[in-house]
Amino acid sequence: MSGPQPVAKLEGLCVDYRGADGWSRAVDGVSFEIAPGEALGLAGESGSGKTTVAYSLMGEQRGASRIGGGRVLFQGRDIFSLPEKDLLALRGRSIGFVPQNPMASLTPSMKVGRQIGEMLRFHAVPAPQGVPARVVELLESVGIPNPAAAARRYPHELSGGQQQRVAIAMALACKPDLVILDEPTTGLDVTTQKRILDLLAGLKRETGVSMLYVSHDLASLAQICERVAVMQKGRLVEAAPTRSLFERPRHAYTRSLIAALPRIDVPPEGRLEPLAAPAQDALLEVDDLRISYARGGFLGLGRPSSGSDTVKGVSFTVSRGKTFALIGESGSGKSSIARAVAGLTAPRDGTIRFNGQPLPALARQRPMHLRQKIQIIFQNPDSSLNPRKSVRSILARPLRMFGTLDAAGREKRVIELLESVRLPASYAGRRPHQLSGGERQRVAIARALAAEPELIVCDEILSALDVSVQASVLQLLETLQRERGLTYLFISHDLAVVRWFARHIGVLSDGAFCEIGDTETTLSAPTSPYTVQLLEAVPRIDASPQIVT
Amino acid sequence: MSKMVLTRLGMALISLLAVSAIIFWCVEFLPGDAAERILGRNATPESLALLREKLHLNLSAGERYLHWLTSLLSGDFGTSLVADRPVLDYIASRIANTALLSGFALILYIPISIGFGILTAIYRGRFTDHAISVIVLIFMCLPEFVIGILLISIFAIKLAWLPPLALIGSAQSFGQLVELMALPTITIVAAMSAYAVRMMRESLIEVLDSSYVLMARLKGLPKWRVLLFHALPNALGPAINITALNVAWMIGGVVVVEAVFEFPGIGRLMVDSISHKDVPVILAISIVMTGAYIVTNLVADLLVILLNPKLR
Amino acid sequence: MSVAEIDPVASSTRARIGLSASGWVGAAIILLYVFVAVTGPWWAPYGATKILTGSPFEGASLQHPFGTDNLGRDVFSRVVFGTRSVLTMTFAATILAVLAGGMIGVVLGYLRNWVDEIGMRIVDILISIPTLVLALLIISAVGNSLWLVVVTVAFLFTPRVARVARAATLNVVTNDYVAAALARGESTMSICLREILPNIMGVMLVEFAIRSAFAIIFIGSLGFLGFGAPPPTPEWGLMINEARANATNSLWPVLAPAAAMAVLVIAINLLADSLSRLIDQQGVSPAKGDK
Repeated sequence: MSGPQPVAKLEGLCVDYRGADGWSRAVDGVSFEIAPGEALGLAGESGSGKTTVAYSLMGEQRGASRIGGGRVLFQGRDIFSLPEKDLLALRGRSIGFVPQNPMASLTPSMKVGRQIGEMLRFHAVPAPQGVPARVVELLESVGIPNPAAAARRYPHELSGGQQQRVAIAMALACKPDLVILDEPTTGLDVTTQKRILDLLAGLKRETGVSMLYVSHDLASLAQICERVAVMQKGRLVEAAPTRSLFERPRHAYTRSLIAALPRIDVPPEGRLEPLAAPAQDALLEVDDLRISYARGGFLGLGRPSSGSDTVKGVSFTVSRGKTFALIGESGSGKSSIARAVAGLTAPRDGTIRFNGQPLPALARQRPMHLRQKIQIIFQNPDSSLNPRKSVRSILARPLRMFGTLDAAGREKRVIELLESVRLPASYAGRRPHQLSGGERQRVAIARALAAEPELIVCDEILSALDVSVQASVLQLLETLQRERGLTYLFISHDLAVVRWFARHIGVLSDGAFCEIGDTETTLSAPTSPYTVQLLEAVPRIDASPQIVT
Repeated sequence: MSKMVLTRLGMALISLLAVSAIIFWCVEFLPGDAAERILGRNATPESLALLREKLHLNLSAGERYLHWLTSLLSGDFGTSLVADRPVLDYIASRIANTALLSGFALILYIPISIGFGILTAIYRGRFTDHAISVIVLIFMCLPEFVIGILLISIFAIKLAWLPPLALIGSAQSFGQLVELMALPTITIVAAMSAYAVRMMRESLIEVLDSSYVLMARLKGLPKWRVLLFHALPNALGPAINITALNVAWMIGGVVVVEAVFEFPGIGRLMVDSISHKDVPVILAISIVMTGAYIVTNLVADLLVILLNPKLR
Repeated sequence: MSVAEIDPVASSTRARIGLSASGWVGAAIILLYVFVAVTGPWWAPYGATKILTGSPFEGASLQHPFGTDNLGRDVFSRVVFGTRSVLTMTFAATILAVLAGGMIGVVLGYLRNWVDEIGMRIVDILISIPTLVLALLIISAVGNSLWLVVVTVAFLFTPRVARVARAATLNVVTNDYVAAALARGESTMSICLREILPNIMGVMLVEFAIRSAFAIIFIGSLGFLGFGAPPPTPEWGLMINEARANATNSLWPVLAPAAAMAVLVIAINLLADSLSRLIDQQGVSPAKGDK
């Protein structure tokens, strides 16, 4: 690439981390350039080394790490050989940084206005109108309503989206030449993500600042970046202009990442419509469900009132052998419904019927055969598997409880269960921490299968997993449904995933359905404004300015 | 915020009430009744009956508790059985002495705990940290009376720089007072701050590893600014909280230190009164000490609330 | 939060399992004390209470490694005999406190309802009574014997252990594996034993170590104030108290038991520190700091 001097340049950067058995290479010979005004996307899954690369651009080494080779040049200067003073002058002044988790990254004891203002003061950035006025101006430029009041707030008094806007204002405060964004939309609600992405795209147009955008989400990268670099296991496997990367990915890993993207507009290849169940009979009927976590009266002994309900009268039916998806953002009450069906939360009011029989509220009050028929899989397999038990013992527990097998029979069944979730039999002896996130989630699925259920409640089971792992877990669920006629109550915030997986869908907003019905009809012709908003917020590869299809 | 403070205050009062009941109940079990204890060998059935009447010993325990509590509320702590004077009168000067000792200790304690806490945290894993941490560990593991006796052996017996006993009644000037109080003060500070330094270190290390401190560094702020404005305010809260919980333990330390140096404070009076079974004095001192603990925790809570905007 | 970047630093340190060097040193010293406590009476040069084994206030010599006290008793022998009484009292008190407090804490933390609320209020109130004051009251009310001191110390430590156990339990019960067990319909007993207990064992082990260090200091302080084991029991705190009046004549009777106590407490702390770091690495952090 000829033309002006690049803002930043990596030359064969290697970073090592110290582990249990000596140094291991986390970043292995990564080279790239960022041209003035260019936004480079850095994609890759957890542990690919992309965050380490981003930090090294700011001369920051995390934990017990060392530079194993190569150089990082910022405007022609080797950043790791700069004296401390010059490095500090560069950080914040010439290189802005937007962190992954704004709540954790803003100092809790300092008002946000001061946190922005201190940058202007310490980098002696001229502010003719005065620092406080400049801070308000900056907050206004990132679209914070009532910026003067917001400047006097503490971080925890702002919403997640506003916190991220503050962080962006901070990164841009000194008019830097390069902004590094580390997963800036991860952890935010879909609609908020969309707004932050729009803001970033706008700011880039207005200021012409260079960007390094680090994300695991190819779709959001595509909306901001002209070029995308893909990292895998510490190596840069491919770097190309965004459009050609999506249209003609050269590396197999890139292809698999793109293929794994849940696309709302294109059905994934090889998808089979689940066999129609013999009859459209209802397996689960939820009627006017109301859930409240508030505790009323002295010591929480009284009954809560309806005003504090998290779930406000929700009714739906799940047909046998089908998937019903509950869609909503955090706080919409979708997980509360899942927990009520599984018998973990007692509803304040309403009935849940299973096979036509009303279900007692709590699992403990339900007869054995009902507990067996309804199983739940949780969001985070780190938390849902007891770290002190082996996979064998985790899987054998429901067998022992619900089944009649003897020890040898259970052992055989554990191996079968592992096979059915595509895990090797040797994993039976392992502890959860010896497995990867995707493998752990498979163990959690196997545990649910062990009970031989009819209904499985899947509570956000994909959101803690990498994209490529998500796709394979979803495929596994689909196969299991076909083979065993399982019924799923599938809770998710991700419309793209749900669209091709669930037959019926209910869109939850603030504890009530704003839309419910056949997935295809609902999503192709949404009637509620909230659904429209959710649909628009789904990042679409073909909607980005860089790719015109 | 004011609602939170009121709740804490209410809780503190309830605790004090419960504690007074527990202590009263404990004292009930002291062998022999008060009348027998006072009269000792001179007791005749008649004099015993008379004294019992006077001390309300003919009432039930519950009635006596209520009686004691109501007179307590009107500021009447009863009469010392040994000194035969109003308890409040008797212990007031002792309370003042102990408060003086605690005050001296506190003046040294705060800067030492925070200062060494910061030093060990920012030089984590390096020589400074290891050196300070070893000294801190040793002081933490030495009981107060061992520290006190060591100090006496070194500074009073071997070097003869300072007096071995803190009989501050004999002090003529402030200089003399400082000289007399030096050893007990150092003993308390050594034992107490060892623990606080550790807490401060742990709390600060956690904060220094936080995303917001990393963010502050990536903003290009100088080190002192990151430490004093971004890290310290957030590290102090947890350290204060944990340290305040240990005041109940440290009050015991003061009792021991006063015994070592024969310091005329309320701790020593407590030990003496227990040997003499001087029930009204024991009760009064227990209440005062528990009150001191509860007030300390209340103050600590308020400080933590002030430091943490999330709680305001 | 959805996809979280795996921190390579955290994941790499997790692999390093085992006690640190200082932890091993602590463990070795503790074992040495246990050895002395068990076998000491067979090889100690003199009896614990035998007077005039030499003249009073002798300095260190081959016959009397730590010299003699005011009654001419051999300080070394008394320290050796003291190991047995101190270790027995300490561990008996700590085991009682950890068992009782652990049980209370787990149950309260698991219930998390009004029983927990009331239970914790009681625990708070008990904790707010200055430890030593309450101990002096109890002991003077009931009389001082070895076992009474043990029971008193156990009683005083129980609410403090309960607090730690409850905090650790709260960390565990919010995990979905407990929810999974609830959804399966497991009994409370089974959940406490199978799901919670294995995950708080580490914390409780550290708590046990820290608590026994406090117990040694505490029992020593009681002895020093004259409210511990009755004389002439060779208890270190009592020995120091008896000897300090004559500190001008000889420091040996003061320093020897003090050093014995300090080294043991330091060893226990080294082991506890190392243990708690080990547990931190395994992701279950113990509730720190409450004495």
